Amino acid sequence: MSQWLASVIDRANSVDDWLRPVRQEAVAQLKQTAWPTRRTEAWRYTSLHALKDLTLAEPTAAPASTEAPAITDLNSLDIVFVDGVPTTDIGSLNTPEGVRIYALDNASEEAQTQAKKVMNQAKNASHLFGLVNDALAQQGVVIDVADGAIVEQPIRVVNYVSAGVESHNRVLVKLGAKAQATIIEHGAGQGNSMNTAFAEYLVGDEAKLEHYRFALHGADAIHIGGSHFKLGEASRLNSTIVGYGSQVSRIDTDIVHAAEHADAKMNCIYLLAPSEHFDLHSLIEHAEPNGTTEQNARGIVGDKGRAVFSGRILIHRDAQKTLAELHNRNLLLSRGAQVSTKPALEIYADDVQCAHGATIAEIEEDDLYYLQTRGISREQALVMLNFGFIQELVKQMPNKALSAWLEPLLRERFKTMEPA
Amino acid sequence: MLKIEGLHANVEGNEILKGLDMTVNPGEVHAIMGPNGAGKSTLGYVLSAREEYEVTAGKVSFKEQDLLELEVDERARAGVFLAFQYPVEIPGVSNMEFLKESVNAVRKERGQEALTAAEFLKRAKEACKQVNLPLDFLKRGVNEGFSGGEKKRNEIMQMIMLEPTLCILDESDSGLDIDALKVVADGVNSQRSDDRSFIVITHYQRLLDFIKPDFVHILADGKIVKSGGPELAKEVEASGYAWLENHEEASA
Ligand SMILES: Nc1ncnc2c1ncn2[C@@H]1O[C@H](COP(=O)(O)OP(=O)(O)O)[C@@H](O)[C@H]1O
Ligand SMILES: [Mg+2]
Repeated sequence: MSQWLASVIDRANSVDDWLRPVRQEAVAQLKQTAWPTRRTEAWRYTSLHALKDLTLAEPTAAPASTEAPAITDLNSLDIVFVDGVPTTDIGSLNTPEGVRIYALDNASEEAQTQAKKVMNQAKNASHLFGLVNDALAQQGVVIDVADGAIVEQPIRVVNYVSAGVESHNRVLVKLGAKAQATIIEHGAGQGNSMNTAFAEYLVGDEAKLEHYRFALHGADAIHIGGSHFKLGEASRLNSTIVGYGSQVSRIDTDIVHAAEHADAKMNCIYLLAPSEHFDLHSLIEHAEPNGTTEQNARGIVGDKGRAVFSGRILIHRDAQKTLAELHNRNLLLSRGAQVSTKPALEIYADDVQCAHGATIAEIEEDDLYYLQTRGISREQALVMLNFGFIQELVKQMPNKALSAWLEPLLRERFKTMEPA
Repeated sequence: MLKIEGLHANVEGNEILKGLDMTVNPGEVHAIMGPNGAGKSTLGYVLSAREEYEVTAGKVSFKEQDLLELEVDERARAGVFLAFQYPVEIPGVSNMEFLKESVNAVRKERGQEALTAAEFLKRAKEACKQVNLPLDFLKRGVNEGFSGGEKKRNEIMQMIMLEPTLCILDESDSGLDIDALKVVADGVNSQRSDDRSFIVITHYQRLLDFIKPDFVHILADGKIVKSGGPELAKEVEASGYAWLENHEEASA
């Protein structure tokens, strides 16, 4: 066993709070779990070497900020965690009508009841780091949206991590029947941090969830987490996942169509600077008939960067009339950049419409030359040639304040990723 | 305006230009003719700094600056324009976005304001009309799905928009029927002025019936082997390039 995992178990055993039964259950499973190697399918292209014997005891830098990064015109309700600890007084938030928000730590009876309704209802029970999160996360937030509540104000959970700190946190969301809400998981930070962040969403019948997950960590971070959704009847999910690469970056996005007529749309964007790593695993399960899924994952990989996309859509025998599409497009900025992409459809029903595919492109020097002969700088030509397919997904984000904020950020990042 | 002296250039280790001399003054139109493989396109690429084309000796000055010092885009902004023999298709970039970027990059270099969206559109529409391209071309990807003739006209349309001082046209006539050829020639003629010069590369004399050159040069085996007035083009038309072999023997 890794030294780090042994310390996870020790630390979990020393926490005595209302979640102790959950922690103990996770510890029991962790003790049975072998540390992943290159032969472990789920971690095949993601080396956990950097984590194996990790010890991050003391912060090596002061936390960057205790306030949420400003986004013009977003007007969100912000809940901020710095290195796993809330800096927002969650108990005294001015919540929109129909919304209740609880802290996971020191949870009241009511908060515990709400948390238990969601916890481990959507998350993959055998995910190694999901279990680590079960074992160690003491901080987090529970968001409960009442039946029929139409919540205009976006709710943003900011998770800052700073150098030298290991942190774990959790987001648990329940959206009542016919409710509508926008939830943003916003991760950011600099330096060699280690963080796990798992979010679970129960989306009620005919509810609409607009979801964003931003994993905008620095190059030295280790960030592992997931956003997991369970969709009720005729519910709708529109999700956008945006990741920078880092030392180790792994996000799982899982969706279960647990009832008929649910509709899921998920766009994923990843931009890896040179030598960065990013691994997106997605499992979308259709358990019931008449569901639709459309997933588009697009990424750009800098020199010596390594991207992993493992997308699976699993259509069970009863899930007739499913419509499912899964596409992955990658641009490699140099011959040293790599992507391992595996879009897969597993279909056990006979009356479904599905499509999937993956493409990999490289920069055409002739195209660059042509644009330059018309006076356009090489830098600008690269942006024009290669940023367009990312921009397309940014434009599809339903929240215009978010897309207006994100587009220049990604454009700037892209400009620093010029091929070797 | 342009002075080329003893230009030698290699492509993939092979010497293609072998000591080329040429002087172009403001307002002049020079035609370059010559057999396939002579190095005509190579000259265009060398003048616009294409990567694989390596200058090994010689000098090129353009408007009193050392042209060879400049990068591809710098040359374009300095006023050199190459209309390609085979323009590439770039489906991901719209013609409109592309033209706007390039026009404004060139204008900025000249110290001019960026065009407003309305002014840009007005000029783009006029230029399209001038080369007989439908307006919806602006919305399509750069050269995406264009026919050979449409691509050539699109090159001329870009030339009109960018207002360069030196225009190099690489076989802008090849593959065109007579009507399309006239459209291209009219586009070029409309841009002739006292301070704008042209190098018109062509394999056939036909284009020169419509674009009247001041000088005609024969490029063979990497060198200008003969220069003269428009009558030289007629000679080529009549006798082809076979006489070149005798010339080479004579000069050997
Ligand atoms: N990119 C290239 N790679 C290798 N050889 C080239 C390349 N471009 C041109 N050449 C060679 O250079 C010579 C001149 O070609 P080019 O300038 O295209 O001639 P022209 O335009 O006069 O027909 C030919 O022998 C051609 O094969
Ligand atoms: Mg040629």
